[in-house]
Amino acid sequence: MIHIPEEIHNKTTFLTRGSKTISNTPCIVFDESRINFLSDLSKSLLSKANIREYPDIATFAFWCRKSNLMRIAKNQTDKNLRLGVGLAFHISPSNVPVNFAFSLAFGVLSGNICVVRLPSEDHISALIIIDEINTLLNNKKYGYDSNFIHLIKFERDDRVNQFWMSIADARVVWGGDNTVELMRSYKCKPRSREVVFPDRFSLSTIRAKCLLDLNKNEIQTLCENLFNDIYVMDQNACTSPQLLAWVGDSSIILEAKKILWDAFIRYVKSKHKLEPIHYMDKYVNACENAILNENVASVKHDNNLLFNIELSHFSDHQQSQRGYFGTVHEISIKNLNELSEIIDDRCQTLTYFGFDVEELKSFVVSNKLRGIDRIVPIGRSLDMGVIWDGYNIIEHLSRIVHIN
Amino acid sequence: MIDIGTIPVFGLNKDDKSHYMLGNMNYLTQFHIKNCSEYKTLMEKFGKIKHTYKEISDVPFIPVRLFKHTNLLSVPKKNIVKTMTSSGTTGQGVSQIFLDSDTSSLQVKVLSKIMSDFIGTKRLPMLVIDSKSIISNREKFSARTAGVLGFSMFGRDVEFALDEDMSMNFERVERFLDKYKSDNILIFGFTSIIWRHFVLELEELGKHLSMSKGILFHGGGWKQLENQSVDNSEFKNRISGISNITNIHNYYGMVEQTGSIFVECEYGFFHTPSFSDVIIRSHQTHSSEEIGITGLIQLLSVIPKSYPGHSILTEDLGTICGIDDCKCGRKGKYFKVHGRIKSAEIRGCSDTYT
Repeated sequence: MIHIPEEIHNKTTFLTRGSKTISNTPCIVFDESRINFLSDLSKSLLSKANIREYPDIATFAFWCRKSNLMRIAKNQTDKNLRLGVGLAFHISPSNVPVNFAFSLAFGVLSGNICVVRLPSEDHISALIIIDEINTLLNNKKYGYDSNFIHLIKFERDDRVNQFWMSIADARVVWGGDNTVELMRSYKCKPRSREVVFPDRFSLSTIRAKCLLDLNKNEIQTLCENLFNDIYVMDQNACTSPQLLAWVGDSSIILEAKKILWDAFIRYVKSKHKLEPIHYMDKYVNACENAILNENVASVKHDNNLLFNIELSHFSDHQQSQRGYFGTVHEISIKNLNELSEIIDDRCQTLTYFGFDVEELKSFVVSNKLRGIDRIVPIGRSLDMGVIWDGYNIIEHLSRIVHIN
Repeated sequence: MIDIGTIPVFGLNKDDKSHYMLGNMNYLTQFHIKNCSEYKTLMEKFGKIKHTYKEISDVPFIPVRLFKHTNLLSVPKKNIVKTMTSSGTTGQGVSQIFLDSDTSSLQVKVLSKIMSDFIGTKRLPMLVIDSKSIISNREKFSARTAGVLGFSMFGRDVEFALDEDMSMNFERVERFLDKYKSDNILIFGFTSIIWRHFVLELEELGKHLSMSKGILFHGGGWKQLENQSVDNSEFKNRISGISNITNIHNYYGMVEQTGSIFVECEYGFFHTPSFSDVIIRSHQTHSSEEIGITGLIQLLSVIPKSYPGHSILTEDLGTICGIDDCKCGRKGKYFKVHGRIKSAEIRGCSDTYT
């Protein structure tokens, strides 16, 4: 048991039951009662009458239903005995409200006692989940002597951060480069582990020829998928595609673009409600982009829902050319390999259409890419999982007990 | 050089106005394309370049926020005589507007024409509801400084009502009012400052000033007053309650088009003078909207020549209420302003440690 000093305790708001001491006792990974806890959480969230109003909660709840957790446990190929490292301290990001819950679930499944700092600003989706967690924690059936989930808030404070860092066996830091840098500035335990999520850049690729083969319904499905990637998180998640590389002959690309964007605009129109300020933000962003970057050839926005920024060539700082709320930077290339020019360690997700898996594997291997941690079909950029940003988070947050 | 000499400020009917504005907008657009490389790049990449634009609504615009991030000039830097800055909303940076002597003097001419329609051509004794200290730094022109200095041209014996700590100096004000008790006086200030340091202060002290011959002009936005649920009619009532001023004009304008202000008429509408125009645009499509529909306010002005600000899309919402037929008799479009579009929460996972 670790004693929480009075000063730290006073500066901390406990969203789960408060305590002056905290355990750092691990348990085995995928502990049965913890799987039950999460799947009960899933059930109670999914049974909420208004769950449809909160697609982010639904996504989380769907992910942590029992069958999925069992599948994840089974897929862990590692046959070693694994236990949590002890106490995992999480910094969750303020603008993806349910990320705290995923981070927590990863830590819990890894067998750790989890302390999660929530962002200062309350978000309704987070509050709903916290509420259910508390209901479950108060239920004795999970059989824990001490709580294994501590959700807290505190004002940005060096001493509080330093305290948690000094006792954490693992730290999980969401929130971008600056946050990662800040958290690294605190002294940690010699053996403490780190899972960090700094700023990333994600991109998408379409083989134009394959798009021409699609019938109307298939185009519609592609539009829906693209919509999920681009608009659901306002294109502001680390997985949101910023660049779309069209692969093929220029005449075919031209034809494919027309088909896709015409259908896409129609679909977006039917779906999306952006705030007026978002239209303005992306308009201003596109104007600045056009002025400052010589590789911007043209900007099209027949409807302000979507800004198509056509690039003549890759820029030296391609990853800084970003857009939000439906801004697609497009480039045409003959061969997927040309894309390797801009791939570095900051690249996270490549979403694709019209390529097969072997081809994509060979793209990564033959170009000896330093980046891209994840390659998924268009539409699945936001699918969260225990393998993220190149980590198997469960493995990272647990230790092997090697027995011979 | 744009000619405004013989044009009546509120006297052009719809057709004459369109003709006059379109000619000038075509001229200015070509001028800025030729002389401001950033503007030209922007127009090219957005596919907006044309020799002539057939309708006023076809004239390209740029977002007003662009001036906050980019230095835009259409004349050599050495010709710049004055740099104006916006008051700047938190975190957004400030606009920088570069003026040469031509643009600067045109601002004065246009503003004079507009003001003479409301107060006549004679200079009036003037009371500024602000502190003198805001005009002491003449290098950097904030919107507040520019406003006070700009309006001071229509006044004489200018007196400042507030001390440096923004408290009312009653002795000075009463002396001023006593001296000019038989004259019309021009009173000027920023809406929020008048509210806080004039209305609320006098109410709190239970004081009353007799200023029935005052003509009050105020501008600068309602944001702070909206938070206190104070609208224009409440504002007017409370002012006349403490001072007997009934001749009160709000005006709408921004530092990016200084000189080109829209003054509220006796019937509560902002009016477009001959030298500027307003178009309402849908935020979703940027297409121009009909009378009565609310949307983003685009401002056009014949003044900006040293910087490409002759046609700007603001972040304010407004509605055009009519053209040429306001009961006040002034020709041109008349409109209402509903405030700024709201900023919203941005989702995402980049640097969010708060």
